[in-house]
Parts: sequence; structure tokens; C-alpha cells
Amino acid sequence: MPVQKFRSAEEMQAAPVQVVYGDAFDRFVRHCARYRAIAPRTYPRGVFRFRTIEEAQAARERVANDGDR
Amino acid sequence: MDRDELLRVLRAFESEALEYVLIGATAMGFHGVVRATEDIDLLVRATPENIERLRRAFRAAYPDDPSVDEIRAADLLGDYPAVRYYPPRGDLFFDVMTRLGEAASFDTVMAEVKEVEGIRVRVATPGALYRLKKETVRPLDRRDAAALRERFNLSEDE
Repeated sequence: MPVQKFRSAEEMQAAPVQVVYGDAFDRFVRHCARYRAIAPRTYPRGVFRFRTIEEAQAARERVANDGDR
Repeated sequence: MDRDELLRVLRAFESEALEYVLIGATAMGFHGVVRATEDIDLLVRATPENIERLRRAFRAAYPDDPSVDEIRAADLLGDYPAVRYYPPRGDLFFDVMTRLGEAASFDTVMAEVKEVEGIRVRVATPGALYRLKKETVRPLDRRDAAALRERFNLSEDE
């Protein structure tokens, strides 16, 4: 069903997105590639170590915020 | 995310017999719950031998990167259970963990094997991913948990 019509934006947002399952890996990789193309980032390089997951997540946020500036 | 690069790394994991389980958004992607991510999260078995396998796998995938040698068993088995590796180029990076919080580790996270291009990939089950994500505080994780629950009809107290 290539075209779906909705009577409201709410109805559209509530409708499940139609996807073809079975090619999950490629869909995932394509989606990430599109995201990167739209919002490219510059990463540091190398190895970084963290005492906790929270510490690691905070470092990731800093990199994301720096890249978005 | 470069498909060939990711496959090259997963192939190296298999070739080196790395004991690992994919978690996070990449694992969700293998289950068909797709959202963009920058990192590949993996829990690895916490033994010196396995960390050496991890280093060999990364060296095979990124032969020109001396920083792989900075991934050390002493850290991952000691005070630094989380190590982030940014390869020399490209747009993906790896979050390697030996434990997650107090309870989750390679031994406690249920996993299944998925196959992509002949490569066997060990991926946390939807239920295991849901359990990992539902208790965390990040809004993104809560959204992931909700998506997993809906897609796989998981009960709230799964």
C-alpha cells in the first residue's frame, strides 16, 4: 500500500509504520547511514575507558554536543 | 554506518571466537526494531583470554591502528568495565563492556544467534534487551523498551 490517507495528523501518527520484516540488518544499516548523511559528526579517535556506564554515556553526550555546535 | 566495515568487524569477532553478545540499538536492529545509532554496544566475557581475542579481532579489522593495544584486560576486568574504541576513520564506534550495572554481564544476558552474510552474530534476545533498557533513566532507553515491548508483545514485568 504505497499511499495511506489519514483524516488527521493524530490518526497518521497513531498508525503503525509499515515495514517488511526479514531484512532487519540492512534496514538498520541503511537507516544509520541516512542519519549520518544528514547529521555528520567528527569523532575523537582511539581508546577511552570508563568506570561506569553513566560516565561513558556522559562522554558520548559531550562528543555529540561538541559535534553539533 | 558503513555496512562493509561492520560486517568486517563481526567476521573478525567470529574468526577469533570472541565470546560476546550485542546489546543496544544494533541488537535491536537485528531484531527489526530499527533506529539510528552511532555505537556498537557489546558485552564480552570477562576473562583475560577473551579480551585478547577482542584485541586480535580489532587488529584484524583495523590493522593500521596501534590504539587497539590500549584495550587492556587489566582495565576491563578491573576498575574500567567500559571501554570505548573509536577506529581510525569512519562513523561508528564500539562500546565494549564486561559488566553493566550490578547484574548484567555476558553470562547473565540471554542471547541468540543471528546470521548475516554467513557470519554468526550473537545478539541479546528481545526480552533481554527489554530488561536492560526498562530500568535505566535515559529517555531514549525508555523509548527503546517501549518499542521492544510492543513489537514482541513482552509483558511489563518481563
